[in-house]
Amino acid sequence: MAEYQYLFTRIQVRGPLYPGVPLPAEDEPRSKPFGFSHLAGKLGDAQIGPMYLGTYGVLSLMLGFIAFEIIGLNMLASVNWNPVLFVRDLFWLSLDPPLPQHGLRLMMPMHEGGWWLLAGACLTASLLLWCARTYARAKSLGLGTHTTWAFMGAIWLFLVLGFIRPIMMGSWSEAVPFGIFSHLDWTAAFSIRYGNLFYNPFHALSIVFLYGSVLIFAMHGATILAVGRFGGEREVEHTIDRGTAAERAGLFWRWTMGFNATYESIHRWAWWFAILTPVTGGIGILLTGTLVDNWYLWAMDRGFVASYPPYDTVNPYLQGAPR
Amino acid sequence: MAVLSFEKKYRVRGGTLVGGDLFDFWVGPFYVGLFGVTTIFFSLLGTALILVAAAGGGTFNPWRINIAPPDIAYGLRLAPMALGGYWQVITICALGAFGSWALRQAEIARKLGMGMHIPVAYSVAVFAFFTLNVIRPVLMGAWGHGFPYGIFSHLDWVSNVGYQYLHFHYNPAHMIAVTLFFTTTFALSLHASLVLAAINPAKGEAVKGAEHENSFYRDFIGYSIGTLGIHRLGLFLALSAGIWSAICIVISGPFWTRGWPEWWGWWLKLPFWSI
Amino acid sequence: MRFNTTNVTLLSLAGAAAVIGFGLLFTFERLPVQTVQGGFRGTSMGRVDNPRTAVVMAAANQAPEAPEAADATGERAREVYENVPVLGHLSVEQFGRIMNVMTQWLYPGEGDAVGCNGCHVAGNFASDDKYQKHVARRMIQMTMALNSEWTPHTAQTGVTCWTCHRGQSVPANVWHEAPRSTGPNFLTGPGEQNRPSLAAGLSDLPLDPFTPYLMGAQEIRMQGANQHPRPESRQSIQQTEWTYSLMMHMSTSLGVNCTFCHNSRAFSNWEESPPQRLTAWHGIRMVRDINNTYIESLRERFPANRLGPLGDTLKANCTTCHQGVNKPMYGAPMIRDYPELLPAPAAQRAEVAGPRIQ
Repeated sequence: MAEYQYLFTRIQVRGPLYPGVPLPAEDEPRSKPFGFSHLAGKLGDAQIGPMYLGTYGVLSLMLGFIAFEIIGLNMLASVNWNPVLFVRDLFWLSLDPPLPQHGLRLMMPMHEGGWWLLAGACLTASLLLWCARTYARAKSLGLGTHTTWAFMGAIWLFLVLGFIRPIMMGSWSEAVPFGIFSHLDWTAAFSIRYGNLFYNPFHALSIVFLYGSVLIFAMHGATILAVGRFGGEREVEHTIDRGTAAERAGLFWRWTMGFNATYESIHRWAWWFAILTPVTGGIGILLTGTLVDNWYLWAMDRGFVASYPPYDTVNPYLQGAPR
Repeated sequence: MAVLSFEKKYRVRGGTLVGGDLFDFWVGPFYVGLFGVTTIFFSLLGTALILVAAAGGGTFNPWRINIAPPDIAYGLRLAPMALGGYWQVITICALGAFGSWALRQAEIARKLGMGMHIPVAYSVAVFAFFTLNVIRPVLMGAWGHGFPYGIFSHLDWVSNVGYQYLHFHYNPAHMIAVTLFFTTTFALSLHASLVLAAINPAKGEAVKGAEHENSFYRDFIGYSIGTLGIHRLGLFLALSAGIWSAICIVISGPFWTRGWPEWWGWWLKLPFWSI
Repeated sequence: MRFNTTNVTLLSLAGAAAVIGFGLLFTFERLPVQTVQGGFRGTSMGRVDNPRTAVVMAAANQAPEAPEAADATGERAREVYENVPVLGHLSVEQFGRIMNVMTQWLYPGEGDAVGCNGCHVAGNFASDDKYQKHVARRMIQMTMALNSEWTPHTAQTGVTCWTCHRGQSVPANVWHEAPRSTGPNFLTGPGEQNRPSLAAGLSDLPLDPFTPYLMGAQEIRMQGANQHPRPESRQSIQQTEWTYSLMMHMSTSLGVNCTFCHNSRAFSNWEESPPQRLTAWHGIRMVRDINNTYIESLRERFPANRLGPLGDTLKANCTTCHQGVNKPMYGAPMIRDYPELLPAPAAQRAEVAGPRIQ
């Protein structure tokens, strides 16, 4: 039984390293393939490399490295350059956004948010260049540019959190800190401040798409592996010229739930679910504090809050307590 | 339309786990089987009970319906119908329907000569539900710890469970689960994009195959996991997300009663920081 | 399985994961747990406790056995003793009794600096030369105020010296302001958060929620009071983290969680909040009064070793009295046994007031 479960590759067949589809003449040359990894070959393809860096790639990596260093060195400085404390407190350390009094200014003392602004700018530039790179690489190989558009969905959420919403709120201090626990504190405080994000319908949609994406990948991954012995992983071939793997995969879901995607359309479902996760999430964040100040009260007004027996706890401020 | 042009040759007898040929037939596009019958039974009963319980709860507004578990005082006993009994029977119906569905998937997979990956994957989701509403309540000693059935009331439950441990984001298993959810979605978007990009190239270009897909990913990040590997990775990530979600909730309460930030105290107290 | 590098790598990874995973098991608690329901069924409000921790807490939070009650009739203390402005209205027997228990509560034992000598100059009980005596007098006034003016928080349980002191001259749980990072740095210095916060249950939240909220009276409420933003609703996420830090302190001090006082779906909504929230609301204001009116007013009296590094006094927060349980000493109504710590009856108050003692 275990023979056909397709969970890992038992026998790895080695051909020569593949240098890749030739690139157009105007591109820089890509590197040589790096070699084989037996470990990688257990799960997927054993070949490592080659890689195409190009101008966008080099610039993106450099800017990403600068952002990483700014964040790391500020964290290290915040523990007075003590390496032991740095490791111990690493999850607690943070590079925070500017103090509220600096508003949207670009010039401020570096340790009061200047570094955060610089790190954010470098990271944003790095991500945009990496995104441009997906476009250039796809074009050079004559592929569609779907990856680029998908990447832009994620960048949208990133920019809403760190750039667009702070500008709309008039203060960089609204943005997310760089740090493990600190960004989690931000997330929790954000929900508390704006009256419970669970009542933000776009947050709800985003969660639906997030869980939906995981569900789709589980269904899709399992389906393809289950028809692995019919060559089901050759998705492009089956899209163009349906074989028995595609027929069985489709019939499985048709018989299970009365409906099935095709070898192409399942990837459209997947693409939209994955893209709509950050897109709807970004909309939800953008509306928070700008148009809606308290999502719970907003939901009460629209009548979709479940009701529980109330307490008779009195609001002391209605009893004349000083504010 | 009930039968696709190529479907007839696949619609053959056999492959059932239980019930022999008795329920070995199709209704429209649906395969029935014994577990189709049990699925229908549990689903209809469960849905009817939801409607009856909702009628008792005073609202049919789908956002506001709330079918809550019993009070903690009932422990692991049965509660009167209107005081959580509906929740208990609906939970049984849900588990009956989910289990039947998984077994029906297994029968269909056998009929089609496919691997058992789908029912196994589905079982992980059922296991997460089972953890939430059976394992954890049993460990904590009361059905009242299950989540209520309601669109927004279950979110209220999620919120309060989180704040019972002061700051749920510090739950290490929750951190791993959330990371896996995001990673799975990220990987799904990359996979879907690549396949769509190969099938739908620029105007005038021929459709591309695995060579181009591999070249794109090697150019892009220096490694292409391959057409089979991406589905293994995706399934692994997706199932891990479900499993770690189940872990993160089952440790909250049964194996940790304080604020989750306090759990990290062991790390701060490790002996070698004082060097 | 062949012994190639891949298998060795995989085996060592699995081994390391197993060892770390096994080690991590010991960082958790174990079954069984005790739960107490808070709100409506299915809302998951209420307490989740570890009964083994509860046993330890119960042992550590016992009220001492009260000595036999004193006869409240007879000669007044002020008629017999010199310089007894705040307890002069008591009977001599009551006066002796409360002096006696205070010794046990703060300076148990006998010696040059303990027992009666903790506050009194040996051989001259009327002398005001020791700073401790001034502090004790002020604290008695405070206790009387807590038992009369702050009953929305102290209820019938009341407060005695023991509530905070528990046999120590300085209560175990006090706070002072901490030095802030020095001057402008080029790189980020140690700030007001982003280190394990002992006040906020080891989270990454602000380190000192006490100065703004339990000494100062900064606004704690952060949630918007309206659906849509208004010009006045400018509370920031950073301010919300400060409030969160205070709430973490309150929860950990009382050994409870957020749902003890709130339905977290609507933190600010009073109708959805259990009545404990109102008790806590009064408690916050009571602690401000303790710190401002009573403790900080003694700043000049204290020697340097009884002050924080910035020269402020050692002040109270929720832990000072609660010490991990939601009612100090599990709600043992100590004040019933020590009527000496109630304010003087109104008829005698004018005589007692005398010069304001600080």
